[in-house]
Amino acid sequence: MSNTTDERVRRASVFSKILSMPEVGAFLGAIAIFILFTSRDTTGNFAGLGGLAGWSDIASTIGMVGIAVSLLMIAGEFDLSSGVMVGSVGLLIGLLVTEFNMNIWLAIIIGLVFAGAIGFLNGWLVHKTKLPSFIVTLATFFVLKGANLAYTMMVTGAVRVTGVDKAPGYQSAYNIFAYQFIVSPDGGVHSFQIQASVIWWVGFTLLGTWVLTRTKFGNWIYAAGGDANAARNAGVPVARTKIALFVTTALTAGLVGVIDVLRLQGMQAGQGIGYEFFYIIAAAVGGTLLTGGAGSAIGASIGAVIMGMAYIGIPYAQWDSNWTSTFLGLILFTAVMVNTYIGRKARGGKR
Amino acid sequence: MSLKLKVAAIVSVAALALAGCSQTATPTATSANSNIKICVYTHSDHGSFWSVFEKGAKDAAASLGVTLDIQGSNNDAQKQAQTITAGVAAGCQGLATSVPDAGAIKTAVAEYVTKKIPFLTVNSGSDVSASLGAFTHVGQDEMIAGEQAGLKFNALGLKHVLCPIQEAANAGLQARCDGLKKTFKGTTTDFNLDGALADLTKATQTLTAAFQADKTIDGVFALNADVAAKAVLPAEAAAGVTLKVGTVDMSPEALQAIKDGKIEWAIDQQQYAQGWMSVALLYLAITNKNELGGGQPIYTGPGFVTADNVDAVMGLVKAGTR
Amino acid sequence: MANALELRNVEKSFGSVIALQGVSIEVEEGAVTCILGDNGAGKSTLIKILSGVHKPSKGEFIVAGQPADYDSPRDALDAGIATVFQDLATIPLMSIWRNFFIGNEITKGWGPFQFLDVATMRAITKQQLLAMGIDLRDVNQQIGTLSGGERQAVAIARAEYFGAKVLILDEPTSALGVRQSGIVLKYLLKAKERGVAVIFITHNPSHAFLVGDRFFLLNRGRLLNRFERSNVQMEELTKAMAGGRDLETLTEEIEAVRARG
Repeated sequence: MSNTTDERVRRASVFSKILSMPEVGAFLGAIAIFILFTSRDTTGNFAGLGGLAGWSDIASTIGMVGIAVSLLMIAGEFDLSSGVMVGSVGLLIGLLVTEFNMNIWLAIIIGLVFAGAIGFLNGWLVHKTKLPSFIVTLATFFVLKGANLAYTMMVTGAVRVTGVDKAPGYQSAYNIFAYQFIVSPDGGVHSFQIQASVIWWVGFTLLGTWVLTRTKFGNWIYAAGGDANAARNAGVPVARTKIALFVTTALTAGLVGVIDVLRLQGMQAGQGIGYEFFYIIAAAVGGTLLTGGAGSAIGASIGAVIMGMAYIGIPYAQWDSNWTSTFLGLILFTAVMVNTYIGRKARGGKR
Repeated sequence: MSLKLKVAAIVSVAALALAGCSQTATPTATSANSNIKICVYTHSDHGSFWSVFEKGAKDAAASLGVTLDIQGSNNDAQKQAQTITAGVAAGCQGLATSVPDAGAIKTAVAEYVTKKIPFLTVNSGSDVSASLGAFTHVGQDEMIAGEQAGLKFNALGLKHVLCPIQEAANAGLQARCDGLKKTFKGTTTDFNLDGALADLTKATQTLTAAFQADKTIDGVFALNADVAAKAVLPAEAAAGVTLKVGTVDMSPEALQAIKDGKIEWAIDQQQYAQGWMSVALLYLAITNKNELGGGQPIYTGPGFVTADNVDAVMGLVKAGTR
Repeated sequence: MANALELRNVEKSFGSVIALQGVSIEVEEGAVTCILGDNGAGKSTLIKILSGVHKPSKGEFIVAGQPADYDSPRDALDAGIATVFQDLATIPLMSIWRNFFIGNEITKGWGPFQFLDVATMRAITKQQLLAMGIDLRDVNQQIGTLSGGERQAVAIARAEYFGAKVLILDEPTSALGVRQSGIVLKYLLKAKERGVAVIFITHNPSHAFLVGDRFFLLNRGRLLNRFERSNVQMEELTKAMAGGRDLETLTEEIEAVRARG
């Protein structure tokens, strides 16, 4: 048995192993932004429960879908219909409940089935037509956007659905999906609301990470995105994997739609539009490559946290809120640059 | 035919069918007036405000039996100008257009003036209406709405009003905040709440942070009813502050909040009437050569809905006509 | 010895292009069968048929005495035919142990709660690579960081570990230097000793001659020639590959040009 060690194989140190994890860059970025906003905070609340209540709420709904979108991006595909799907499902549930007096749980099930079906359609079309998923899901986005508005107007005569809280079953559904925990550390003097969606989001982060790193399916996701041909030749069911992931993005978006329609007790026809890019940003900031093959669920969650902190930190610092978009753009660019730089260094300058 | 081609063919046929179905001309085939074509080209985004406007226009067209071509450019001034230009060739006999950006549509409307096609401005642009060649302006002046709101806030004795703008770079919304500054005696702060209508929960959190950061704020001039009811009120509760809230436009929740005393008043632009009147005034101009207004704007607002008259209005809002 | 697989009069066309015509080969167990040919001879189409990517348009494909009808590479893999493609079928951004077990992951647990047995997979990968002469302290490295020869070795080790009865190697030495090629060829022979039927596809007659027991020459989609080790010399092989007489004629012409200039 030959035992020659190839001297060109570098020994990887613990430190560089940690740095090459995609989440680390994002985590360091989040720490930096936290420190920035804490130092500029005029209320004294940012670093405490007040700030947490705010940014965790924003991060939870961006993060949940961001995780699913991240997994899809690792497998090498995009879903631009994920934002508008939030609105579609919320509106569907709202319409079923207010026009047909349906029990809200049944409406929720129908809404999620609808989401799953559209997700499946997205995946199947991408597979069959071999068109880029960017194009296929962009088409779905436009179709749903128009449908959301037209259908709502047709049924209610207005651009919103209201009165969902009068539906049978509302309270129980609210308790599961949209409950607000009141937290008061100083016995009632100040109280803060933590949303139930935060718990769902943490759960999804754990589930997403476990699937990605500790299951067969996760291995297939990486393989499909890293080199679909090689994966297929090695026996990985690439098409099935991708279709399953399209269903997942649609379902998580649908879940956020459920949460929103319960919390807002109704929904606007424009809900969710534009968010498809926020999900991609969260994933990219968290270390997911746009070209596929690498990324993480935790990273997407950290990306969502960064965005939440920006939306809360800027008003807390009393900066001109018109700069919010600019700030987000800078964060996006910096985060991805830092991630790529750290990753390259850790992997030994691989180009 | 390969699978790709088949799918492309099916998709394009479906798209054409859908496009055909969404034609917004209201045909009244048997009416004597159906050969009269009135064009209403605005910067509508078909949202909660504009949809009521459009209903007004469509209802008027249906009553009068005219053919209506109504299009919204979704705040894209370029696109609006192109639609207006194309309208001449498309046989518009009367034009109503909003003016969020006078420079963009100036050349386009000039052709109507040259061809002596009756043309009026609606909703926005009362100050430029005459110079563009319109015979009148129908609407509510955004600036005036803001000024009136300022007076109302003065009456409540407030010191610092926040003006959240849910759509950045929208001149009309900005004008409301500017009008407020003119009459309100205290401080006005504009606040960027861009994208609020795409995610009211995020807007809530952002406003909560703003209220917590600046405790001198004691009033909010919301520019949209859903922002008022679904973002400002929850933010007020979450931040643990008490504010006086006024809003522009109405929604069922906003009216309920007025009834419950959580919102002080809502400014009603009466945009249903704006749509209705545009069509009616153009009809008169086309058929009877009447050009109303005397060269001045015809104001449809601001009307104020308060706790006193809210009950009457509520049913109408639900029906989508106010 | 028995035939691990056979192709009888196989033809493969894509639309109007005929990639292979009248190809018949027999591959014995425990022997190295070389398929030689220049670029464009149809070697890659041949491999794709053997590995289950394509089906023959005409002719028979027999595996272990039974007709084979594979719908995907997965089916061929399940039948014991492992292919190490020219691009290695490794995914550069994934770690070595993930690449080793791709499509054959070892799991613990039941049903939807199955999860990867990472420790076992890492251990087996390290062990198998050691047997190939690669000592890595960390099989978590991305496989893209290994050199070409090492990646080949991982691919071959993977194929052998998962019980290949037929091992098809597509131009394994074409991108390698001398020492690395030597390692790969030694492994070819070790596999043969273990009873695996090795199909070695190459356009390098020297490498083929070092390890081959049987040689098939492909040219423009057809089988030109067939030799057994016992009845062929290196020079004959090379000449046959280069088109025989044509190379002689070319050499004369070039010498004539050089003499003039």
